[in-house]
Amino acid sequence: MYFCVNRKGKYLKFIMYSYNPTYALLIFIVVSMVLFLLFRPNRGLFWKIRSVYRVDDKIVIEDILKQLYHSEDKQIGINFLVNALGYRDSIIISGIDKMIDGNLVYFEGEYLKLTEEGHDYALKIVRVHRLWERYLAEKTGFDKSEWHGIAEQKEHETDDEEAGKLASSLGNPIFDPHGDPIPTISGKIAELDSIPLSGLKVGDIGKIINIDDNPEIIYKQILAENIHIGSQIKVLENNSTRVTFYSEGEEYRLAPIVAANIKVSIVNTPEEILEDNVIRLTGLKPDEKAIIEGISKESRGDSRRRLLDLGFVKGAEISIDLVNPFGEPTAYFVKGTTIALRDDQARKILIKKD
Amino acid sequence: MDVLPHSNCENCEHFNADGLKKLGVDTTDFDYIVALAGNPNTGKSTVFNALTGLRQHTGNWPGKTVTRAEGAFQYNEKKYKLVDLPGTYSLLSTSEDEEVARNFILFGKPDVTVIVVDANRLERNLNLVLQILEITDKAVLCLNLMDEAKRNNIEINIRSLAKDLGIPVVPASARYKEGIPELIQTISDVASGKIICKPHRIKNIPKDIEEAVRILSDKIKKEFPNIPNSRWIAFRLLEGDNQIIEALESGVFV
Amino acid sequence: MDKKNIHNIIALANELRWKIGDDFHDNLAEGIYADAAEIVEDAIIDKNRDRKERLDNKIDRIVTSRVWGFPIMFSILALVLWITIKGANYPSAFLADILLGDVRPMLKSFAASLNFPWWLSGFLIDGVYLAVAWVIAVMLPPMAIFFPLFTLLEDFGYLPRVAFNLDYLFKKSGAHGKQALTMSMGFGCNAAGVVATRIIDSPRERLIAIITNNFSLCNGRWPTQILLATIFIGAVVPASLSSIVSLGAVFGIAVLGIFFMFFVSWALSKTLLKGEVSTFNLELPPYRPPDFWRTIYTSIIDRTLIVLWRAIVFAAPAGAVIWLISNLYIGEQSIAAWMIHYLDGFGFLIGLNGVILLAYIVAIPANEIVIPTILMLTVLVTGLNVGEGAGVMFELDSVNDTASVLKAGGWTLLTAINVMLFSLLHNPCSTTIYTIYKETKSMKWTVLASILPVIIGFVVTFVVAQLWRIFVN
Repeated sequence: MYFCVNRKGKYLKFIMYSYNPTYALLIFIVVSMVLFLLFRPNRGLFWKIRSVYRVDDKIVIEDILKQLYHSEDKQIGINFLVNALGYRDSIIISGIDKMIDGNLVYFEGEYLKLTEEGHDYALKIVRVHRLWERYLAEKTGFDKSEWHGIAEQKEHETDDEEAGKLASSLGNPIFDPHGDPIPTISGKIAELDSIPLSGLKVGDIGKIINIDDNPEIIYKQILAENIHIGSQIKVLENNSTRVTFYSEGEEYRLAPIVAANIKVSIVNTPEEILEDNVIRLTGLKPDEKAIIEGISKESRGDSRRRLLDLGFVKGAEISIDLVNPFGEPTAYFVKGTTIALRDDQARKILIKKD
Repeated sequence: MDVLPHSNCENCEHFNADGLKKLGVDTTDFDYIVALAGNPNTGKSTVFNALTGLRQHTGNWPGKTVTRAEGAFQYNEKKYKLVDLPGTYSLLSTSEDEEVARNFILFGKPDVTVIVVDANRLERNLNLVLQILEITDKAVLCLNLMDEAKRNNIEINIRSLAKDLGIPVVPASARYKEGIPELIQTISDVASGKIICKPHRIKNIPKDIEEAVRILSDKIKKEFPNIPNSRWIAFRLLEGDNQIIEALESGVFV
Repeated sequence: MDKKNIHNIIALANELRWKIGDDFHDNLAEGIYADAAEIVEDAIIDKNRDRKERLDNKIDRIVTSRVWGFPIMFSILALVLWITIKGANYPSAFLADILLGDVRPMLKSFAASLNFPWWLSGFLIDGVYLAVAWVIAVMLPPMAIFFPLFTLLEDFGYLPRVAFNLDYLFKKSGAHGKQALTMSMGFGCNAAGVVATRIIDSPRERLIAIITNNFSLCNGRWPTQILLATIFIGAVVPASLSSIVSLGAVFGIAVLGIFFMFFVSWALSKTLLKGEVSTFNLELPPYRPPDFWRTIYTSIIDRTLIVLWRAIVFAAPAGAVIWLISNLYIGEQSIAAWMIHYLDGFGFLIGLNGVILLAYIVAIPANEIVIPTILMLTVLVTGLNVGEGAGVMFELDSVNDTASVLKAGGWTLLTAINVMLFSLLHNPCSTTIYTIYKETKSMKWTVLASILPVIIGFVVTFVVAQLWRIFVN
């Protein structure tokens, strides 16, 4: 056995006589794997079990209300809800029973309809959800793709008073970060005059006002393309296989199903149409000079304020001062100072080349 | 307002060299509070050290002085307590440094605020200057790093700058102690009321915002007649600054 | 003042805010800059705005160039570390001579002349005084060299360029380029490195930099690494190669630390710190010739003495504890012997031993006193006839003598390797922990920053020990 300094003692003896490095290593590997499976971020078994355990009537009812609210023009039956929400039949049915008792929904044939009270309740949840998304976008560092999931949870845990505080701390915002209107307490909701990008004709000019964050797969695809809310676009090609459009110095190609999740408002007034030489700051080349046109709405919260404070304001002259050995970040010369920005920030600054 | 040309003037007639005593950290029994504000990297700490005789660290880094440092000097029988605020680009954001600086100028009610700016990068520095001038009307602009500006062939019309800003402007090279006597003299003149400032107020604001600010600031003025910076408070309310809302509610401004 | 009117004002503000829309901040910022531009138009007579003509830009083009950027950076860092480690030897030996060689006997005889009982003079002089003197002798010189050098670079304006050059790597692990500097500062002293994170103005990245600073091998740990590498690793290769191999081993440990820094930064930014606000911008200020003497003065006052003072405050009670556990008996054994006894099993499992674990527990104030404590405790449990008695830390002038004490304590090559790893991967010293608390003002992050590295250390040493026992012997 292995030589070990020092006196005997029961516990030491135990380790010395039963110890085998291979077993020790195996035990360690098994234990770490179990811990990993239990606790790995998001997909860990522990979190899943906890979220199942946490499901109560309130959450089920609110989820059903939301589902009904978002598809008011469709005919929704129980099967549809089971599929869409992923709860067991029995849970959904007992939820619906309670909702009928509470006068939130009623059956029209085999389809469920919202009562007026149900509609108001649903609107309140939508309000809280969108407020949370706005909060997450402005005041935290969570990634865009995570806002929806977190808000989905928070919406069930926030009461009216907290929602009011949240709204006022955000300055009672009108839109959430995806461009969806946030209902007011009284249920007022700003009108969106928009059409899907896939519905535009070649040559149409529009402004992206909404990117739907549902379904998630399509949303992530749009995020990966770096398409921003507030960007002006010009459609170059639109057929059954793809939608091609130009925006801020770059060309984008999307499948029509993806493009349908981007909502656009048509720009008609000539003053509003941006010139073709308005591009993103990432498109600036060394030895070129440009004038800043503005910062995209995609840049939010502290990050946006900091950029403005540093002088990245409309009308400021900008040029590249230093190029990094790795290609990123780039140091820009603006208002007499050299300031380095990463590409994901520079992409949100619009410039006009001379 | 008469601004002296920049020279080392320990013995010129305006400045009373015998009346100056650098008091270091002894900040007891002061007559006036002087706040020292400025962008990062403008040599603000050097000015602080030159005024107080202290040796605070001055790093060539944005945002070095994170907490406020205090020192004092005595000039012509009056004691001045000097508070070195964190270097910031602006007072509009939510970072900790900016909050410290903003709150001190607003709630600490300094008798004079000295704004140290880099003469080489005046435009960027004016962003902060113009914000401070919305909060306080007793301010002095210390145009630091004049030696570098000279090397870079930048010429500044001090008179026109002082006229546009409505506050006295003192050119200086704090590293070489140039301009410090004039700065002390000017601080004392502003503190004692010998120089009255008419600070510049931000003009280029869109009409609808200007209108909103006017309505709001009129209301504030009616409620707090003695407030010098109702416009700034209106800005902050429109921004949704919770600290200001709380301050209004608790009546700090009376 | 009427509360109702105030509420009306606030309500009015909310209503107006709704009316003017989301762009208020933008419009205000633009307005201020527009005013600034008008004023500057008036006041600046000769606008020389072409930075490309200036010296600054020429220097920048060299220090951020693809070819020269990295070699310049690494040679400067290596030079600073080399000057620090080499240069500190002489003043350290000098201070040790005075404080340990001259002053301590004087105190001893003074205590004897006052008829102090043995335990009182033992507790005060061999315990408290010795630990404090030791910390001063080994900590002061390297810090007094490292900090001024670093501060000179800082004042000149070179360091932001380093952050600029390296930002890409740090971005990949969710951190800020400026962490390159706080990390380098950590090579001098982790407590100072933690204070230096103030330059990072983004909350998430600053926390990451604070929590991972301990992975920079600090001044207090370099000598341990060099000593062990020389004794154990240098010995397994031919004599002609021994110095280069042991140097390589120490370098490898430092690089491993950097690897863990990146890895933990990445993991934190993906999990615990995901929701903290993150912003990035990096100003590259103009170069300025540093004010040499003032820099030396202020860096010694501001950084060196503050850190040293904190270390002394923690070292004094630790010295007392070290002396007490070695001299207080429970049954027939001293407390130290009992603790070593109980720690031995776990120590063995991770390729260390009870002496080493106990030394790391009681020497928490400063990594510098770990080796002296290990030597003292080894003598205590083996009964060797070296050193100066129970509870009195010592170091041996000759590397060979040190080696024979350690080998008598049962050290093998595996023990040495694992001590080197554990010296890199264990909790920060108490000075650093205290500093982390001061900077974050949060118990949660302080505890995390203290515990995380030890857990990593246990895992790494455990795995290495098992693999070694399976494959090597």
